[in-house]
Amino acid sequence: MTPAPRTLELFYDVLSPYSWLGFEVLCRYKKLWNINLQLRPSLIAAIMKDSGNQPPALLPRKAQYLQNDIRLLGQHIQVPIQLPKDFFSVILEKGSLSAMRFLTAVNLEHPKMLEKVSRELWMRVWSRAAEKAGMSTEQAQGLLEKISTPKVKNELRDTTNAACKYGAFGLPVTVAHLDGQTHMLFGSDRMELLAHLLGEKWMGPVPPAINAKI
Amino acid sequence: MTPAPRTLELFYDVLSPYSWLGFEVLCRYKKLWNINLQLRPSLIAAIMKDSGSLSAMRFLTAVNLEHPKMLEKVSRELWMRVWSRDEDISEPKSILAAAEKAGMSTEQAQGLLEKISTPKVKNELRDTTNAACKYGAFGLPVTVAHLDGQTHMLFGSDRMELLAHLLGEKWMGPVPPAINAKI
Repeated sequence: MTPAPRTLELFYDVLSPYSWLGFEVLCRYKKLWNINLQLRPSLIAAIMKDSGNQPPALLPRKAQYLQNDIRLLGQHIQVPIQLPKDFFSVILEKGSLSAMRFLTAVNLEHPKMLEKVSRELWMRVWSRAAEKAGMSTEQAQGLLEKISTPKVKNELRDTTNAACKYGAFGLPVTVAHLDGQTHMLFGSDRMELLAHLLGEKWMGPVPPAINAKI
Repeated sequence: MTPAPRTLELFYDVLSPYSWLGFEVLCRYKKLWNINLQLRPSLIAAIMKDSGSLSAMRFLTAVNLEHPKMLEKVSRELWMRVWSRDEDISEPKSILAAAEKAGMSTEQAQGLLEKISTPKVKNELRDTTNAACKYGAFGLPVTVAHLDGQTHMLFGSDRMELLAHLLGEKWMGPVPPAINAKI
């Protein structure tokens, strides 16, 4: 009898390129590991404010570093991520409130669509290729109308607060619930450690028997 | 004919626990990958403008100048003091203890300790730290890989799998087999 799957919560924001990397790796592994992956759309701006942290891109050398790091990791992890030329303004000025409220609404009403719609939004922000996620126009329109309702606003706020309670100072954050303990792991670069904690096998960011094409 | 080994520079400071993690992983892999690992004692204080490990890193700089084969072991002993046993590394006697534990004679260690305030050692540490800054470092550890005419600066102890990918080498986790993982 297989043991009960362990719950992993992935807190993410489409404004966060590293969140996309962590998301894709975990989506590949959810079919390979004995886990229950719960996607938790959150607001990175609120987490930064709550923790007193700042976006790394504000430090000039980190901004410079980020560009290469994201490019290399995108190649290694096989995610078509490309920093837009104005990524600074994308992150700092445009924000992601509507997008994350939209995903919150998707999660409330059509949770099975959450993975695909999240990916579509990342594609729009962080990749030149825009694909359709397969949602009907009516569905999408209906959800768009709901994003400013108290229910959706509160849900996004509650999810973001949950991340803060776990100790988040940024995103992505993966929370693993194991044998009565909770482990909060920050970053897309903690997946091998996660495997170690789960007692599962790490097969790199592009495990075999998975179609890596998004 | 095996291709020429690729040079990796590891910039580190014993005050940085993540530096220790990166250091141990690369020390394990230097016997498994076709690389030439160059250890570069640096000062995270200068990179981050923080409180520091000045004496310890000057001492390691002196070790690197005079007894480079001892650098790995002495570095490890300093990390063991500060990040494993919560012991001091700022006092001369602390640094001597680390050097002796690494296998240096008291005379050798004492001789190096007397040199840590010389211009040669000070300048060398400053130059190394400046080199890290020129590569774009904003913290430590930083691994700089020189590959096919390109330079890649990787920040953090958590970029070793990516490093393997860039080198075209096999990543076997942080504790690869056929290596005695006991420090």
